[in-house]
Amino acid sequence: MAAIENGSVTSSSRRADRSLLAAALLLPGVLPLAQQAHAEAAPEQAVVAAKVLDYQDRQPGLERTHVQAPAVYLLLPIRGEWSLEASLVQDSVSGASPRYHTSISSASRQTERRSAGDVKLTHYAARQSWYAGAAVSDEHDFHSRALSGGASFSSEDNNRTLNLGAAFTEDRIGATGDPTLDARRRTMQVMGGVTQNVSPRDIVQGSLTLSRGTGFYDDPYKFPDHRPDQRNQLVAAARWNHHVESHGATLRSGYRYYADSFGIRAHTVDAEWVQPVGSRWRITPGVRYYTQQAARFYVDPVYDAVLGEPFPPGWTPGTISSPDQRLSAFGALSASLKLDVTLDAAWAMDLKLERYEQRADWRLGGKGSPGLAPFSARWVQLGVSYRF
Amino acid sequence: MNVRLRVIAGLTLAASLTACAQWQVQPPAAWERGLLAKPEMRIEGDPLQERFDQHIHMSKENASGGSGIGGGGCGCN
Repeated sequence: MAAIENGSVTSSSRRADRSLLAAALLLPGVLPLAQQAHAEAAPEQAVVAAKVLDYQDRQPGLERTHVQAPAVYLLLPIRGEWSLEASLVQDSVSGASPRYHTSISSASRQTERRSAGDVKLTHYAARQSWYAGAAVSDEHDFHSRALSGGASFSSEDNNRTLNLGAAFTEDRIGATGDPTLDARRRTMQVMGGVTQNVSPRDIVQGSLTLSRGTGFYDDPYKFPDHRPDQRNQLVAAARWNHHVESHGATLRSGYRYYADSFGIRAHTVDAEWVQPVGSRWRITPGVRYYTQQAARFYVDPVYDAVLGEPFPPGWTPGTISSPDQRLSAFGALSASLKLDVTLDAAWAMDLKLERYEQRADWRLGGKGSPGLAPFSARWVQLGVSYRF
Repeated sequence: MNVRLRVIAGLTLAASLTACAQWQVQPPAAWERGLLAKPEMRIEGDPLQERFDQHIHMSKENASGGSGIGGGGCGCN
């Protein structure tokens, strides 16, 4: 949302560039606040924002899960060298998740709440910043705690920023109807990235994230579902923002490659076009495509001749297998439209609509997993922000 | 982490560094960064929107990550 982004107007970069800026302001096309786009500069303004999400997904003939989620966000500059960021969200989820593949039993219908929050404290110094963060998420059958830390370092000309970070997450998993389940999962993540101004109209970012997780990965609400107790993940991501002067617009695009030790490989591409309309409005259409191959232990909806549904052929207790549709091979397309309006110097509002659909046939480079119903979702986000 | 993933990680890092080295040839001067300072040119977007979108995608797809770390887990996946 515009106000949040504007809230990151920087002070240190303006100090560094003040003499050049004075000359630059005499040139046509240069904004009065020529600031950096980098993360190591302290924000000058506080931001309070609120947003509400309404989400509904479905499969043919079935309304599945409905989610309503209000959320709040705070960005608070502290004495010019520090900032505090925090957010809170509460999800109310109702509906049903498949017991196996796309089959849903009446017993799987549920209503539950999730409360989550995160906080991040950042210290800014000359061409560098350091942060520490924490996050919590609580449901009646799932509790997650995360700690993170990292740093950013800018080059002398402020055109390149190196970002480094690490995080540790511990999840505690239970299950409704199984009071004996009290399982743990621990995940360690490290990431590194480079953000570079490559021209007066282009910013690119590349990043690499490695994760190593150990513990309980089974889905306690699916049967039979038993997964490896370790998962290593690799994510390589790139983003490119390009300003199109002829339209006064910005093309924001990204690509992500994902690989894990479950055998899944996935590609994601996304793009959005930010088009200002007049001085107060912005309209942003966007598209996203996702494709993944199946986990090596995902089982198609073909069942054992003796045991029958839902057991895969040759199943025995302890077999590593899962009927989870999210581990199958599929492709997904989504389209979105966002409207932003700046009401005055302090207030802004935004509305975003998104439509999403998964189909096996949309997998890139081959057919997807057979026998699964298409899955679709739509969600709406309405937000307001105030900066001061 | 298996050998293949390590190779991919190494190649990705090498490609990124090589690309950045190429782009370093003509970085914009301070007085040329006015357009880069526009809000929509920031790599990071609307924080609440990104949290919602990432959470939805994480709950419906296997892949996640690439835009930050330390956000905590979720029972939805």
